[in-house]
Amino acid sequence: MLLSLLTKRYPGMRAWLTQRLTGLLMAIYSVVLLIRVLVLTPSSYDDWLAFSRPWWWRLATLIFWVSLSSHAWLGVRDVLKDYVPNVKIRMVLLKLVVLALWVYLVWITLLLCNL
Amino acid sequence: MMNSNRKVQSTNPKKVRPKNLNLFTIRMPINALVSILHRVTGCALFLALPLLLVTFQLSISSASKFQLVQDLMHSPIAKLIVLGLAWSFFHHFFAGIRHLAMDVHWATTLIKARYTSKVVFVLGGLATLLLAISWVF
Ligand code: HEM
Repeated sequence: MLLSLLTKRYPGMRAWLTQRLTGLLMAIYSVVLLIRVLVLTPSSYDDWLAFSRPWWWRLATLIFWVSLSSHAWLGVRDVLKDYVPNVKIRMVLLKLVVLALWVYLVWITLLLCNL
Repeated sequence: MMNSNRKVQSTNPKKVRPKNLNLFTIRMPINALVSILHRVTGCALFLALPLLLVTFQLSISSASKFQLVQDLMHSPIAKLIVLGLAWSFFHHFFAGIRHLAMDVHWATTLIKARYTSKVVFVLGGLATLLLAISWVF
């Protein structure tokens, strides 16, 4: 039932559910991040690399960022729909948001791969 | 937010109704405040993403750049920005959790919603305060 809402047949429900699932994923990541910082207390450069390098943490960070891209896209899209009535200007802004989010995603992926 | 218009609406539907969208004169119940700030903080976080990426890139690229980030973080302006963004994140986080809870029909009565709104503000403020105490001072 829940999964059928994620198909293209229900775009509104899909967006709604996606924003919730991505929010939840990011919340979990944030809590794990906080716990890791409190436990490992990285303070030097070497600490920081050791903190960021484990393959599973990089993977988690990538998943976080993919969630963030989708979440922020849906969120900012709604905000622009509410506050920018001029369709042409809104379209330009929406395209800029998509472009920015793709650039950020490629950017973080490169950083994580080269870590 | 629009409660104040109710009297006007009930008289004559054709009459031009006063529009009152000035955010500084609308009486904002606490739930509305949590909600609008959830939106504002979401947008602020979006706008802060490049800053976050640049900082992360610097911090992992070399020991001297890592030191540079640490030094930059000592300036009062940087502290202000980081604390502002931290509060934005905490508020968005707690308000988001509240939102999810209400989506599954938890605490949806007005009284409970007002209470959880206060909880969101207190937790957001507390988290920011803890960060400020442990890191800034
Ligand atoms: C940390 C975990 C997070 C949770 C639990 C969360 C939760 C939520 C939820 C439930 C909504 C839907 C609100 C609605 O439908 O009215 C939302 C909206 C939004 N979120 Fe997040 N979020 C999180 C992180 C983020 C981050 C990191 C960003 C920024 C990049 C962000 C940006 C936004 C924006 C712009 C909106 C739209 C606000 C609106 O329409 O009023 N969120 N968030």
